[in-house]
Amino acid sequence: MESGPMSVDSAPLEPPALPEGNANEPTHGGHSRFEVELEFVQSLANPEYLNYLASRKFLTNPAFIAYLDYLQYWTRPPYLKYLTYPTSTLKTLELLQQEKFRQDIISPDLAHMMIMEGMKTAVEWHREG
Amino acid sequence: MAKNGELDACFERLEKSLDKMIDSIAKGNPSEAIAEELVACQNDLQGSMKLIETWQNNEARLQQLRQEVSLFDTQIKDIMSSLWNIRKEVKATQTTPTATTKKHQFTTAELLAFARRISRNTLPAPGVTNGVDMTAPKPPPPNADADDSFRLQSQPTQNQTPNTSFGASFGPGITSGSTPGPVSAATPNTVNDTQPSTQLPPSQPTKTVTEEKLPEHIEHGINPRHGAVFYPWPTQEHIRSGALASLQRLIDAGIDPKGYDPGEVERKKQEEEQARKDAEERARQEREAAEQRMREERERMARERELARQREGGSDRRDSVAVGSAKPKQFTFLGADDDDDDDDD
Repeated sequence: MESGPMSVDSAPLEPPALPEGNANEPTHGGHSRFEVELEFVQSLANPEYLNYLASRKFLTNPAFIAYLDYLQYWTRPPYLKYLTYPTSTLKTLELLQQEKFRQDIISPDLAHMMIMEGMKTAVEWHREG
Repeated sequence: MAKNGELDACFERLEKSLDKMIDSIAKGNPSEAIAEELVACQNDLQGSMKLIETWQNNEARLQQLRQEVSLFDTQIKDIMSSLWNIRKEVKATQTTPTATTKKHQFTTAELLAFARRISRNTLPAPGVTNGVDMTAPKPPPPNADADDSFRLQSQPTQNQTPNTSFGASFGPGITSGSTPGPVSAATPNTVNDTQPSTQLPPSQPTKTVTEEKLPEHIEHGINPRHGAVFYPWPTQEHIRSGALASLQRLIDAGIDPKGYDPGEVERKKQEEEQARKDAEERARQEREAAEQRMREERERMARERELARQREGGSDRRDSVAVGSAKPKQFTFLGADDDDDDDDD
């Protein structure tokens, strides 16, 4: 997203309400916080997007780093089951907790390597033999 | 012991015949019959001896079998005893109480639903290979773990300047869903979903594939998935068309997305529009009703006038008829407007 690199809001303390709940929380542009954060955490699985965020200096912003830490609630039930790209999302979320990865992903070569490996693994993991 | 008796009898007969034979020899008159009897007795004795030998062999065999039976009995008893002890031990073992809580926090149905939901994002469609040669043997898993390999590969890129080609594709300038622009030569083009990767492992044995490959235009026609690529993450198109992109559009339009609900705004707008239309419709209906009332009033007045005229015309005719027959008894003013064809409504 194209907001200013340093305009990341401070992370909310509590994870959002589940979609099953009838919480009347204010929407963000018509979307619930759950919906927006689910979409965002899964977008992080896209290496190009990570590279983009790094190039916009998001990944060195302490507020954004705190937000990444906050997003780890997606690794736990009951939020875990809502991930539709669970493998890549969880792995990326884990990597993003490492400062070294946050620094290195600014390299397009690394992003490209992750794309190639991810695509290759996606077709090879279920191969027999 | 019957055998012993039989053997004794044979010995006895042999001794007697031997005595007879000795007597006959001693008397100098050996008898051939006695000699034959002696031979017969000897043969009997030998037969009996053979029987005894067989009997003794059988006896020995019986003894051996009894010993074996005894041995096996002992073994069976030992086994039975061991089994009994084991049974006792098993029964005496304290079993772990069965956990009353569920092992998993989800049901099978939920698990299957989850699998169904994620399957389209974790497994490519049939025929989509991402450029990997599926006929080649599966490469062995790497020895180093993922983190290590990542570190090794990422080391030389420490000092590279950030490449904005990826970033630009997420920028606001092309959020309309256009295909990302060309990237620099140093940057691999990985953003185009419709292009199969040509940079996957160079070790693919492509000879046989190219031999059987159809021309490009035919390939497109017969294989709808020709050139399709599978990404195990949300693509740029997904991200651009999602909630985050819509929030960015709101921000770009100067609207604070917090608490803003486009659906609600649209609904309110529609309600206002509907209310305006309803008001217009009501005004129109009222106007039409008023006009209708005025028309009806005019018609009613015209009818009344007509009736009045008809009444006046009728009395005039009756008067005329009366004039012909008799003199009118009373003067009646006929008025000036006595034309029946007059229609001034």
